[in-house]
Amino acid sequence: MSETLRETVPAQTISHGNPWGQWRNQALAVMRLEMRKSFLSKRVFLLLVLALMPVFLLGMRAIIPVAVDDPANLAEATKVFSAIYQAFTVRVIVFLGCVWIFGNLIRREVLDRSLHYYFLSPVRRELLVVAKYLTGVLVAIVLFGSATLISYLLAYAPHTGVGNFFFRGPGFAHLGSYLLVTSLACMGYGAVFLALGFFFKSPAIPALAVFGWERILFLLPPLLKKVSVSHYLQSLCPVPFDEGPLAILADAPSPWISIPGLLIVSAALLALSAWKIRKMEISYEED
Amino acid sequence: MNALGKTDSRIVIENVSKFYGEVLGINKVNLTIPPGITGLVGPNGSGKTTLMNLMVGLIRPTRGEIRILGVAPDHPEELFRLVGYSTQYDAFPPGMTGYQFIYSYLRVHGFAHAEAEKMTWEAIERVGLTEAAGRKVAGYSKGMRQRIKLAQAIAHRPTVLILDEPLNGLDPMARAEVIALFRSLAAAGLYVIVSSHILHEVDLISDQVVLINGGYIVAEGEIGGVRDEMEEEHPVQVLIRCDRPSLLASKVFEQDHVVEASIQDDGRSLLVRTRSADRFYMMLNEVVLETGLGIETVMPTDADVNAVYQYLIGEKS
Repeated sequence: MSETLRETVPAQTISHGNPWGQWRNQALAVMRLEMRKSFLSKRVFLLLVLALMPVFLLGMRAIIPVAVDDPANLAEATKVFSAIYQAFTVRVIVFLGCVWIFGNLIRREVLDRSLHYYFLSPVRRELLVVAKYLTGVLVAIVLFGSATLISYLLAYAPHTGVGNFFFRGPGFAHLGSYLLVTSLACMGYGAVFLALGFFFKSPAIPALAVFGWERILFLLPPLLKKVSVSHYLQSLCPVPFDEGPLAILADAPSPWISIPGLLIVSAALLALSAWKIRKMEISYEED
Repeated sequence: MNALGKTDSRIVIENVSKFYGEVLGINKVNLTIPPGITGLVGPNGSGKTTLMNLMVGLIRPTRGEIRILGVAPDHPEELFRLVGYSTQYDAFPPGMTGYQFIYSYLRVHGFAHAEAEKMTWEAIERVGLTEAAGRKVAGYSKGMRQRIKLAQAIAHRPTVLILDEPLNGLDPMARAEVIALFRSLAAAGLYVIVSSHILHEVDLISDQVVLINGGYIVAEGEIGGVRDEMEEEHPVQVLIRCDRPSLLASKVFEQDHVVEASIQDDGRSLLVRTRSADRFYMMLNEVVLETGLGIETVMPTDADVNAVYQYLIGEKS
């Protein structure tokens, strides 16, 4: 061990000028660290399996000839994809993926007893929570956005005339809408589960409650439908989803309400998380 | 003036209490900690970690106020440019090497790549882990994990270093090296606050001690000073090895500050308990001059922190 006394004065003085550059550097450092710790490790395996489920479903449909009634009927592919996407991909896969990613952003580090390393750094806790959220959003969008893209292509793969659908028809526009919905779902559900993670020790219980709420949404009156993420996402999908004879119909909000509305609610939940982390105390013993 | 441009050069803890519901963490703690090595000593569960966690804002006081060189703990963005803290938690972010662990958090501090890299190697070198830097922390021994935590605490060159049981798990060689590091940091003007329940360690390294028990500060100051404060209630023991212990015994019994004197089994030593060490030593000098008493050794038997601890806390280390 070196006993040579080196420079012991603090290596860094706080900037009294514009702090944005420092905050950007710190946020990027947190994001890199989060990627290394959580998303470039074995832990991501289950998340990958989850994301690949709709790909697997539509892949099977693409390779099993009897699964497609009429290869020339592109409307069938559009209907099948829309049903799988809205009922399964968004409401189950993206939902569960966001529970896993965002519910664990803080919780996992409390269980690992390593959250204090962040808290012992000269980084604003609000910045920390925003950087963690952005990392989660990035990972979720890459994973579930890729799954959406691949499964969309697989839905049309066994059909004929796909070139026209994509290049002269609404193919790419639909794809763009689905990718937008996936991204907004990641942001919305992400903000919900990040915030819930500060109020509940285990994300499973609130996740189950939110899941149940979103599943019975079609039975709820129009006013209550507005208190959900999937109601707004559904209105952005290019193909309506038939929720069955028992569904109580409500006017779908316009994209001009849905998109800013989801973003504002996400930002508000993120602000709530930032407030909670500012007040947070580390006491691993209780966990 | 410190690195943040603040002029307060003290660590001040004012009337701080922390309760976990009904359970007392610490109560009405008042401390001012000067530069140098301060030992925070107390048995397990006495409130050492609670006090340290309060100082760095990992937990918040129920009452009272803390200022570290003028900065409140609820401003981490300022505080941790001045403070490094090595916790008692033996846990690390998963999957990281020693180098990655230090480097990544230096980047979170806001240091650029080249500077963070340089500071990482510097800190790793100072704790003697250069060869193990590329290995996963999960594979480190307990002593290596202690040292990499210490490296993480010093890497950003803090002015205040708070270390919770930093010598736990270190072998004797590493312990000596780490103690030398503490001393070099203290000699450079840093505030080094070290907790331990092993009293001998703190006695060896501390410039001053804070004794804590049951959430209360029971004494603070230099070990000798703390001892002096207690003399009235807890007499000092001194063992004198000399050629005529019975003569010395007869002389000391004439003194009103002497509580007890007993000739030891070896027949050459006298154990004296006195309420005033200063007056006793003065008297001893006079006896030597008067009688030509041949003294071999004079040894306070309880002036170390261990004895202080026993008096104050009533436990043996």
